[in-house]
Amino acid sequence: MDFLTKSLAEAAGMLFSLDPELYFIVYVSLSVSLMSTLVASVMGIPLGFFIAVGQFWGKRGVITVLNTLLALPTVVIGLFVYALLSRQGLLGHWGLLYTPAAIVIGQVILILPWVASFTVSAVSRIDERYRRTAMTLGAGPFQTAFAIIREARFGILGAVIAAFGRVIAEIGIAMMLGGNIKGFTRTMTTAMALEHNKGEFVLAVALGIVLLTVSLGMNILLQVLQGRYGEDR
Amino acid sequence: MTLYELSGLQKCFGEVKALDIAHLELSENTACALLGPNGSGKTTLLHILALLMPPSAGTLCFRGKPVIWRENRLLPLRRKVVLVEQHPIMFSTTVIKNVTYGLKVRGTHRSARKRIAMECLDRVGLADFADRRAHRLSGGETQRVAIARALACKPEVLLLDEPTAGVDTENQAVVEQIITRLRDEKNMSILFSTHNPFQAKRLAQKQIYLHRGGIDTRINERQS
Repeated sequence: MDFLTKSLAEAAGMLFSLDPELYFIVYVSLSVSLMSTLVASVMGIPLGFFIAVGQFWGKRGVITVLNTLLALPTVVIGLFVYALLSRQGLLGHWGLLYTPAAIVIGQVILILPWVASFTVSAVSRIDERYRRTAMTLGAGPFQTAFAIIREARFGILGAVIAAFGRVIAEIGIAMMLGGNIKGFTRTMTTAMALEHNKGEFVLAVALGIVLLTVSLGMNILLQVLQGRYGEDR
Repeated sequence: MTLYELSGLQKCFGEVKALDIAHLELSENTACALLGPNGSGKTTLLHILALLMPPSAGTLCFRGKPVIWRENRLLPLRRKVVLVEQHPIMFSTTVIKNVTYGLKVRGTHRSARKRIAMECLDRVGLADFADRRAHRLSGGETQRVAIARALACKPEVLLLDEPTAGVDTENQAVVEQIITRLRDEKNMSILFSTHNPFQAKRLAQKQIYLHRGGIDTRINERQS
Protein backbone atom coordinates (compact mmCIF):
# COMPACT_ATOMS: atom_id res chain seq x y z
CA MET A 1 0.00 0.00 0.00
CA ASP A 2 2.85 2.27 1.00
CA PHE A 3 4.54 1.47 -2.29
CA LEU A 4 1.44 2.44 -4.27
CA THR A 5 1.00 5.72 -2.38
CA LYS A 6 4.66 6.56 -2.92
CA SER A 7 4.42 5.75 -6.65
CA LEU A 8 1.27 7.85 -6.99
CA ALA A 9 2.89 10.80 -5.21
CA GLU A 10 6.00 10.62 -7.40
CA ALA A 11 3.85 10.20 -10.52
CA ALA A 12 1.86 13.30 -9.57
CA GLY A 13 5.16 15.13 -9.12
CA MET A 14 6.22 14.08 -12.62
CA LEU A 15 2.94 15.29 -14.08
CA PHE A 16 3.07 18.66 -12.36
CA SER A 17 6.77 19.21 -13.13
CA LEU A 18 5.86 18.81 -16.83
CA ASP A 19 8.43 16.03 -17.31
CA PRO A 20 9.44 16.22 -21.02
CA GLU A 21 9.84 12.46 -21.46
CA LEU A 22 6.40 11.80 -20.01
CA TYR A 23 4.69 14.46 -22.10
CA PHE A 24 6.43 13.39 -25.30
CA ILE A 25 5.08 9.86 -24.76
CA VAL A 26 1.60 11.34 -24.22
CA TYR A 27 2.02 13.43 -27.38
CA VAL A 28 3.04 10.37 -29.48
CA SER A 29 0.10 8.36 -28.10
CA LEU A 30 -2.45 11.10 -28.72
CA SER A 31 -1.19 12.04 -32.18
CA VAL A 32 -1.05 8.42 -33.39
CA SER A 33 -4.46 7.58 -31.89
CA LEU A 34 -6.12 10.73 -33.25
CA MET A 35 -4.67 10.14 -36.71
CA SER A 36 -5.83 6.51 -36.82
CA THR A 37 -9.28 7.50 -35.51
CA LEU A 38 -9.53 10.22 -38.15
CA VAL A 39 -8.52 7.88 -40.99
CA ALA A 40 -10.81 5.09 -39.72
CA SER A 41 -13.71 7.57 -39.41
CA VAL A 42 -13.23 8.98 -42.90
CA MET A 43 -13.31 5.43 -44.28
CA GLY A 44 -15.65 3.75 -41.79
CA ILE A 45 -18.54 6.23 -41.59
CA PRO A 46 -19.33 6.22 -45.35
CA LEU A 47 -18.73 2.45 -45.47
CA GLY A 48 -21.12 1.87 -42.56
CA PHE A 49 -23.66 4.24 -44.09
CA PHE A 50 -23.69 2.46 -47.45
CA ILE A 51 -23.91 -0.96 -45.81
CA ALA A 52 -26.85 0.27 -43.71
CA VAL A 53 -28.86 1.90 -46.49
CA GLY A 54 -27.75 -0.20 -49.45
CA GLN A 55 -29.75 -3.14 -50.74
CA PHE A 56 -27.29 -5.68 -52.09
CA TRP A 57 -26.75 -9.40 -52.15
CA GLY A 58 -24.76 -10.66 -49.18
CA LYS A 59 -25.52 -7.68 -46.93
CA ARG A 60 -26.11 -9.94 -43.89
CA GLY A 61 -22.80 -11.65 -44.60
CA VAL A 62 -20.93 -8.34 -44.75
CA ILE A 63 -22.44 -7.26 -41.41
CA THR A 64 -21.51 -10.62 -39.86
CA VAL A 65 -17.91 -10.26 -41.09
CA LEU A 66 -17.76 -6.70 -39.70
CA ASN A 67 -19.08 -7.85 -36.34
CA THR A 68 -16.56 -10.71 -36.28
CA LEU A 69 -13.74 -8.26 -36.99
CA LEU A 70 -14.66 -6.38 -33.80
CA ALA A 71 -12.97 -9.20 -31.91
CA LEU A 72 -9.78 -9.10 -33.99
CA PRO A 73 -6.85 -9.39 -31.55
CA THR A 74 -4.27 -6.61 -31.76
CA VAL A 75 -1.39 -9.11 -31.92
CA VAL A 76 -2.92 -10.75 -34.99
CA ILE A 77 -3.10 -7.36 -36.72
CA GLY A 78 0.43 -6.65 -35.49
CA LEU A 79 1.73 -9.89 -37.01
CA PHE A 80 -0.18 -9.39 -40.28
CA VAL A 81 0.98 -5.79 -40.81
CA TYR A 82 4.51 -6.72 -39.65
CA ALA A 83 4.61 -9.37 -42.36
CA LEU A 84 3.61 -6.73 -44.92
CA LEU A 85 5.95 -3.98 -43.72
CA SER A 86 9.04 -5.99 -42.78
CA ARG A 87 12.00 -5.91 -45.15
CA GLN A 88 10.92 -9.14 -46.86
CA GLY A 89 7.29 -8.08 -46.89
CA LEU A 90 5.17 -6.92 -49.81
CA LEU A 91 5.39 -3.28 -48.69
CA GLY A 92 8.84 -3.54 -47.12
CA HIS A 93 10.29 -1.02 -49.58
CA TRP A 94 8.13 1.69 -48.01
CA GLY A 95 10.36 1.55 -44.95
CA LEU A 96 7.49 2.14 -42.56
CA LEU A 97 8.18 -0.52 -39.97
CA TYR A 98 8.90 0.89 -36.50
CA THR A 99 7.50 4.31 -37.38
CA PRO A 100 4.36 6.07 -36.11
CA ALA A 101 2.86 5.52 -39.60
CA ALA A 102 3.10 1.74 -39.11
CA ILE A 103 1.21 2.05 -35.81
CA VAL A 104 -1.46 4.17 -37.56
CA ILE A 105 -1.88 1.51 -40.30
CA GLY A 106 -2.31 -1.25 -37.72
CA GLN A 107 -4.68 0.79 -35.57
CA VAL A 108 -6.82 1.77 -38.57
CA ILE A 109 -7.24 -1.95 -39.35
CA LEU A 110 -8.18 -2.49 -35.71
CA ILE A 111 -10.87 0.20 -35.44
CA LEU A 112 -12.23 0.43 -38.97
CA PRO A 113 -14.69 -2.42 -38.26
CA TRP A 114 -15.69 -0.65 -35.02
CA VAL A 115 -16.52 2.62 -36.74
CA ALA A 116 -18.23 0.90 -39.68
CA SER A 117 -20.18 -1.57 -37.57
CA PHE A 118 -21.44 1.02 -35.08
CA THR A 119 -22.31 3.37 -37.96
CA VAL A 120 -24.37 0.54 -39.50
CA SER A 121 -26.23 0.20 -36.18
CA ALA A 122 -26.71 3.96 -35.75
CA VAL A 123 -27.97 4.50 -39.32
CA SER A 124 -30.18 1.39 -39.29
CA ARG A 125 -32.00 2.75 -36.24
CA ILE A 126 -32.90 5.97 -38.05
CA ASP A 127 -36.55 6.19 -39.00
CA GLU A 128 -37.16 5.49 -42.72
CA ARG A 129 -39.32 8.62 -42.86
CA TYR A 130 -36.19 10.81 -42.63
CA ARG A 131 -35.01 9.44 -45.98
CA ARG A 132 -38.42 9.88 -47.60
CA THR A 133 -38.83 13.37 -46.12
CA ALA A 134 -35.45 14.55 -47.42
CA MET A 135 -36.20 13.08 -50.84
CA THR A 136 -39.69 14.53 -51.14
CA LEU A 137 -38.36 17.94 -50.13
CA GLY A 138 -36.05 17.79 -53.13
CA ALA A 139 -32.80 16.44 -51.70
CA GLY A 140 -30.48 14.60 -54.06
CA PRO A 141 -28.78 11.33 -53.06
CA PHE A 142 -25.86 13.01 -51.25
CA GLN A 143 -28.10 15.56 -49.52
CA THR A 144 -30.37 12.71 -48.40
CA ALA A 145 -27.38 10.74 -47.11
CA PHE A 146 -26.17 13.80 -45.22
CA ALA A 147 -29.62 14.32 -43.66
CA ILE A 148 -29.64 10.70 -42.44
CA ILE A 149 -26.08 10.90 -41.09
CA ARG A 150 -27.01 14.11 -39.32
CA GLU A 151 -29.91 12.36 -37.60
CA ALA A 152 -27.62 9.45 -36.68
CA ARG A 153 -24.82 11.76 -35.54
CA PHE A 154 -24.97 10.88 -31.88
CA GLY A 155 -24.60 7.14 -32.52
CA ILE A 156 -21.81 7.79 -35.02
CA LEU A 157 -20.03 10.09 -32.59
CA GLY A 158 -20.27 7.35 -29.95
CA ALA A 159 -18.66 4.94 -32.43
CA VAL A 160 -15.78 7.36 -33.10
CA ILE A 161 -15.16 7.94 -29.39
CA ALA A 162 -15.29 4.20 -28.64
CA ALA A 163 -12.80 3.62 -31.48
CA PHE A 164 -10.47 6.27 -30.07
CA GLY A 165 -10.71 4.65 -26.64
CA ARG A 166 -9.81 1.32 -28.21
CA VAL A 167 -6.66 2.58 -29.95
CA ILE A 168 -5.33 4.73 -27.16
CA ALA A 169 -5.46 1.77 -24.79
CA GLU A 170 -4.11 -0.94 -27.13
CA ILE A 171 -0.58 -2.24 -26.78
CA GLY A 172 -0.07 -5.13 -29.25
CA ILE A 173 0.04 -3.05 -32.45
CA ALA A 174 2.04 -0.20 -30.92
CA MET A 175 4.63 -2.65 -29.59
CA MET A 176 4.94 -4.88 -32.70
CA LEU A 177 4.79 -2.18 -35.37
CA GLY A 178 6.21 0.79 -33.47
CA GLY A 179 8.97 -1.07 -31.69
CA ASN A 180 8.70 1.11 -28.54
CA ILE A 181 11.54 3.39 -29.67
CA LYS A 182 12.20 6.10 -27.10
CA GLY A 183 11.35 9.58 -28.35
CA PHE A 184 9.88 8.25 -31.58
CA THR A 185 7.29 5.48 -31.31
CA ARG A 186 7.00 4.99 -27.55
CA THR A 187 3.33 5.30 -26.61
CA MET A 188 1.72 5.39 -23.16
CA THR A 189 0.85 1.69 -23.16
CA THR A 190 4.22 0.46 -24.49
CA ALA A 191 6.05 2.71 -22.03
CA MET A 192 3.93 1.38 -19.17
CA ALA A 193 4.72 -2.21 -20.16
CA LEU A 194 8.44 -1.41 -20.37
CA GLU A 195 8.51 0.36 -17.02
CA HIS A 196 6.65 -2.55 -15.46
CA ASN A 197 9.24 -4.98 -16.85
CA LYS A 198 12.00 -2.82 -15.42
CA GLY A 199 10.28 -2.75 -12.06
CA GLU A 200 10.02 1.08 -12.31
CA PHE A 201 6.48 1.97 -11.53
CA VAL A 202 6.54 5.77 -11.21
CA LEU A 203 6.40 6.59 -14.92
CA ALA A 204 3.94 3.71 -15.49
CA VAL A 205 1.61 5.07 -12.81
CA ALA A 206 1.90 8.63 -14.17
CA LEU A 207 1.04 7.40 -17.66
CA GLY A 208 -1.82 5.34 -16.23
CA ILE A 209 -3.21 8.52 -14.67
CA VAL A 210 -2.96 10.34 -18.01
CA LEU A 211 -4.58 7.43 -19.84
CA LEU A 212 -7.50 7.35 -17.43
CA THR A 213 -7.81 11.14 -17.59
CA VAL A 214 -7.99 11.00 -21.40
CA SER A 215 -10.67 8.30 -21.17
CA LEU A 216 -12.59 10.35 -18.64
CA GLY A 217 -12.29 13.43 -20.86
CA MET A 218 -13.64 11.53 -23.86
CA ASN A 219 -16.58 10.25 -21.85
CA ILE A 220 -17.35 13.72 -20.50
CA LEU A 221 -17.25 15.05 -24.07
CA LEU A 222 -19.68 12.33 -25.14
CA GLN A 223 -22.01 13.10 -22.26
CA VAL A 224 -21.92 16.84 -23.00
CA LEU A 225 -22.72 16.24 -26.66
CA GLN A 226 -25.41 13.74 -25.69
CA GLY A 227 -26.97 16.38 -23.46
CA ARG A 228 -26.86 18.96 -26.20
CA TYR A 229 -28.28 16.65 -28.83
CA GLY A 230 -30.76 15.34 -26.28
CA GLU A 231 -32.15 18.85 -26.24
CA ASP A 232 -32.70 18.59 -29.99
CA ARG A 233 -34.78 15.46 -29.69
CA MET B 1 -54.35 19.06 -68.77
CA THR B 2 -53.67 15.61 -67.35
CA LEU B 3 -51.26 15.70 -64.43
CA TYR B 4 -50.88 11.98 -63.79
CA GLU B 5 -51.87 9.08 -65.98
CA LEU B 6 -51.56 5.58 -64.57
CA SER B 7 -51.82 2.52 -66.82
CA GLY B 8 -51.70 -1.06 -65.58
CA LEU B 9 -49.94 0.15 -62.47
CA GLN B 10 -49.15 -2.51 -59.88
CA LYS B 11 -47.18 -2.54 -56.66
CA CYS B 12 -46.35 -5.77 -54.90
CA PHE B 13 -44.67 -6.31 -51.55
CA GLY B 14 -43.49 -9.88 -51.74
CA GLU B 15 -46.56 -11.96 -52.50
CA VAL B 16 -48.97 -9.20 -51.56
CA LYS B 17 -50.36 -7.03 -54.33
CA ALA B 18 -50.88 -3.67 -52.64
CA LEU B 19 -51.93 -1.74 -55.72
CA ASP B 20 -53.47 -2.75 -59.03
CA ILE B 21 -54.86 0.14 -61.04
CA ALA B 22 -55.86 -0.52 -64.66
CA HIS B 23 -56.24 3.13 -65.61
CA LEU B 24 -56.48 6.43 -63.79
CA GLU B 25 -56.12 10.03 -64.84
CA LEU B 26 -55.76 13.00 -62.53
CA SER B 27 -56.17 16.55 -63.81
CA GLU B 28 -54.02 19.54 -63.08
CA ASN B 29 -54.91 22.30 -60.59
CA THR B 30 -57.70 20.41 -58.90
CA ALA B 31 -58.14 19.09 -55.39
CA CYS B 32 -58.71 15.38 -55.41
CA ALA B 33 -59.50 13.08 -52.49
CA LEU B 34 -58.45 9.45 -52.22
CA LEU B 35 -60.89 7.48 -50.13
CA GLY B 36 -60.80 3.93 -48.97
CA PRO B 37 -60.47 1.69 -45.93
CA ASN B 38 -57.16 0.80 -44.27
CA GLY B 39 -55.02 -1.33 -46.54
CA SER B 40 -56.75 -0.15 -49.70
CA GLY B 41 -53.48 1.19 -51.13
CA LYS B 42 -53.89 4.94 -50.53
CA THR B 43 -50.44 5.45 -48.99
CA THR B 44 -48.75 3.21 -51.55
CA LEU B 45 -50.37 5.17 -54.37
CA LEU B 46 -49.31 8.49 -52.82
CA HIS B 47 -45.71 7.25 -52.45
CA ILE B 48 -45.66 6.26 -56.13
CA LEU B 49 -47.18 9.59 -57.18
CA ALA B 50 -44.58 11.36 -55.03
CA LEU B 51 -41.97 9.44 -57.06
CA LEU B 52 -40.52 7.94 -53.90
CA MET B 53 -41.28 4.34 -54.82
CA PRO B 54 -41.32 2.71 -58.27
CA PRO B 55 -44.26 0.56 -59.24
CA SER B 56 -43.70 -3.17 -59.75
CA ALA B 57 -45.41 -3.01 -63.15
CA GLY B 58 -47.21 -0.54 -65.39
CA THR B 59 -46.50 3.04 -66.34
CA LEU B 60 -46.92 6.35 -64.64
CA CYS B 61 -47.01 9.43 -66.85
CA PHE B 62 -46.40 12.86 -65.37
CA ARG B 63 -47.77 15.63 -67.60
CA GLY B 64 -47.91 13.26 -70.53
CA LYS B 65 -44.37 11.93 -70.20
CA PRO B 66 -43.64 8.47 -68.80
CA VAL B 67 -41.65 8.60 -65.56
CA ILE B 68 -38.22 6.99 -65.88
CA TRP B 69 -37.38 5.50 -62.50
CA ARG B 70 -33.72 6.45 -62.49
CA GLU B 71 -32.40 8.64 -59.69
CA ASN B 72 -30.89 11.30 -62.00
CA ARG B 73 -34.17 11.58 -63.94
CA LEU B 74 -36.39 11.61 -60.85
CA LEU B 75 -34.82 14.51 -58.97
CA PRO B 76 -36.15 17.31 -61.24
CA LEU B 77 -39.64 15.75 -61.10
CA ARG B 78 -39.50 15.27 -57.34
CA ARG B 79 -38.82 18.96 -56.95
CA LYS B 80 -42.28 19.62 -58.39
CA VAL B 81 -44.11 17.19 -56.11
CA VAL B 82 -44.08 17.17 -52.30
CA LEU B 83 -45.64 14.57 -50.04
CA VAL B 84 -46.73 15.31 -46.48
CA GLU B 85 -46.82 11.99 -44.65
CA GLN B 86 -49.59 10.84 -42.34
CA HIS B 87 -47.20 11.08 -39.38
CA PRO B 88 -44.62 13.59 -40.56
CA ILE B 89 -41.18 13.45 -39.02
CA MET B 90 -39.21 16.55 -38.15
CA PHE B 91 -35.45 16.85 -38.48
CA SER B 92 -33.91 17.24 -35.04
CA THR B 93 -33.43 20.98 -35.22
CA THR B 94 -35.60 24.11 -35.06
CA VAL B 95 -38.92 24.63 -36.82
CA ILE B 96 -37.48 27.28 -39.14
CA LYS B 97 -34.59 25.02 -40.20
CA ASN B 98 -37.09 22.28 -40.99
CA VAL B 99 -39.12 24.66 -43.12
CA THR B 100 -36.06 26.00 -44.95
CA TYR B 101 -34.70 22.50 -45.68
CA GLY B 102 -36.29 22.15 -49.12
CA LEU B 103 -35.06 25.62 -50.10
CA LYS B 104 -31.56 24.90 -48.83
CA VAL B 105 -31.21 21.75 -50.95
CA ARG B 106 -32.38 23.80 -53.94
CA GLY B 107 -29.63 26.34 -53.29
CA THR B 108 -31.93 29.26 -52.41
CA HIS B 109 -30.11 32.20 -50.83
CA ARG B 110 -30.14 32.31 -47.05
CA SER B 111 -32.11 35.58 -46.73
CA ALA B 112 -34.76 34.42 -49.24
CA ARG B 113 -34.97 31.08 -47.40
CA LYS B 114 -35.83 32.75 -44.14
CA ARG B 115 -38.37 35.08 -45.72
CA ILE B 116 -40.17 32.29 -47.58
CA ALA B 117 -40.14 30.03 -44.52
CA MET B 118 -41.65 32.74 -42.36
CA GLU B 119 -44.36 33.36 -44.96
CA CYS B 120 -45.20 29.65 -45.01
CA LEU B 121 -45.23 29.39 -41.23
CA ASP B 122 -47.53 32.39 -41.20
CA ARG B 123 -49.87 30.62 -43.64
CA VAL B 124 -50.26 27.74 -41.21
CA GLY B 125 -50.56 30.11 -38.24
CA LEU B 126 -47.28 29.10 -36.60
CA ALA B 127 -45.02 32.08 -37.28
CA ASP B 128 -44.32 32.34 -33.54
CA PHE B 129 -42.97 28.78 -33.51
CA ALA B 130 -40.00 29.47 -35.80
CA ASP B 131 -37.30 29.07 -33.16
CA ARG B 132 -38.85 26.17 -31.26
CA ARG B 133 -37.34 22.68 -31.29
CA ALA B 134 -39.33 20.79 -33.92
CA HIS B 135 -39.34 17.58 -31.87
CA ARG B 136 -41.23 19.25 -29.07
CA LEU B 137 -44.29 20.15 -31.14
CA SER B 138 -47.64 18.45 -30.63
CA GLY B 139 -49.07 16.16 -33.33
CA GLY B 140 -51.28 18.89 -34.80
CA GLU B 141 -48.50 21.47 -34.78
CA THR B 142 -46.13 18.97 -36.41
CA GLN B 143 -48.68 18.38 -39.16
CA ARG B 144 -49.00 22.13 -39.75
CA VAL B 145 -45.23 22.66 -39.79
CA ALA B 146 -44.94 19.74 -42.23
CA ILE B 147 -47.43 21.49 -44.51
CA ALA B 148 -45.47 24.76 -44.20
CA ARG B 149 -42.26 22.82 -44.98
CA ALA B 150 -43.90 21.40 -48.08
CA LEU B 151 -45.32 24.78 -49.19
CA ALA B 152 -41.91 26.42 -48.82
CA CYS B 153 -40.74 24.25 -51.73
CA LYS B 154 -43.44 25.91 -53.90
CA PRO B 155 -44.60 22.53 -55.23
CA GLU B 156 -46.74 22.17 -58.31
CA VAL B 157 -48.34 19.09 -56.76
CA LEU B 158 -49.07 18.72 -53.07
CA LEU B 159 -49.80 15.21 -51.80
CA LEU B 160 -51.16 14.79 -48.29
CA ASP B 161 -51.53 11.41 -46.64
CA GLU B 162 -54.46 11.60 -44.21
CA PRO B 163 -53.55 15.13 -43.13
CA THR B 164 -56.08 15.25 -40.29
CA ALA B 165 -55.67 11.71 -38.92
CA GLY B 166 -54.67 11.72 -35.27
CA VAL B 167 -55.00 15.50 -35.05
CA ASP B 168 -57.23 17.32 -32.54
CA THR B 169 -60.37 19.15 -33.71
CA GLU B 170 -58.80 22.60 -33.58
CA ASN B 171 -55.81 21.58 -35.68
CA GLN B 172 -58.11 19.60 -38.00
CA ALA B 173 -60.04 22.78 -38.72
CA VAL B 174 -56.82 24.69 -39.38
CA VAL B 175 -55.50 21.99 -41.75
CA GLU B 176 -58.83 21.92 -43.62
CA GLN B 177 -58.72 25.72 -43.89
CA ILE B 178 -55.21 25.58 -45.34
CA ILE B 179 -56.25 22.97 -47.92
CA THR B 180 -59.36 24.98 -48.86
CA ARG B 181 -57.29 28.13 -49.34
CA LEU B 182 -54.70 26.31 -51.45
CA ARG B 183 -57.47 24.74 -53.54
CA ASP B 184 -59.14 28.11 -54.15
CA GLU B 185 -55.86 29.77 -55.11
CA LYS B 186 -55.58 27.16 -57.93
CA ASN B 187 -51.80 27.43 -57.99
CA MET B 188 -51.17 23.79 -57.35
CA SER B 189 -52.73 20.38 -57.71
CA ILE B 190 -53.72 18.79 -54.43
CA LEU B 191 -54.27 15.11 -53.78
CA PHE B 192 -55.06 13.93 -50.28
CA SER B 193 -56.14 10.69 -48.73
CA THR B 194 -58.80 10.50 -46.07
CA HIS B 195 -61.18 8.09 -44.36
CA ASN B 196 -63.76 10.78 -43.98
CA PRO B 197 -66.21 11.09 -46.95
CA PHE B 198 -67.62 14.35 -45.59
CA GLN B 199 -64.17 15.88 -45.44
CA ALA B 200 -63.52 14.64 -48.97
CA LYS B 201 -66.73 16.33 -50.17
CA ARG B 202 -65.90 19.56 -48.36
CA LEU B 203 -62.37 19.86 -49.66
CA ALA B 204 -62.10 18.04 -52.96
CA GLN B 205 -63.49 18.59 -56.44
CA LYS B 206 -62.95 14.95 -57.31
CA GLN B 207 -63.06 11.80 -55.22
CA ILE B 208 -61.47 8.47 -55.99
CA TYR B 209 -62.37 5.34 -54.08
CA LEU B 210 -59.78 2.65 -53.60
CA HIS B 211 -60.60 -0.86 -52.49
CA ARG B 212 -58.06 -3.67 -52.04
CA GLY B 213 -55.53 -1.84 -54.15
CA GLY B 214 -57.84 -1.15 -57.08
CA ILE B 215 -60.17 1.65 -58.10
CA ASP B 216 -63.65 0.92 -56.81
CA THR B 217 -65.46 1.62 -60.08
CA ARG B 218 -68.94 1.10 -58.68
CA ILE B 219 -68.61 3.91 -56.14
CA ASN B 220 -66.70 6.12 -58.55
CA GLU B 221 -69.40 5.69 -61.21
CA ARG B 222 -72.14 6.40 -58.69
CA GLN B 223 -70.26 9.58 -57.78
CA SER B 224 -70.04 10.84 -61.34
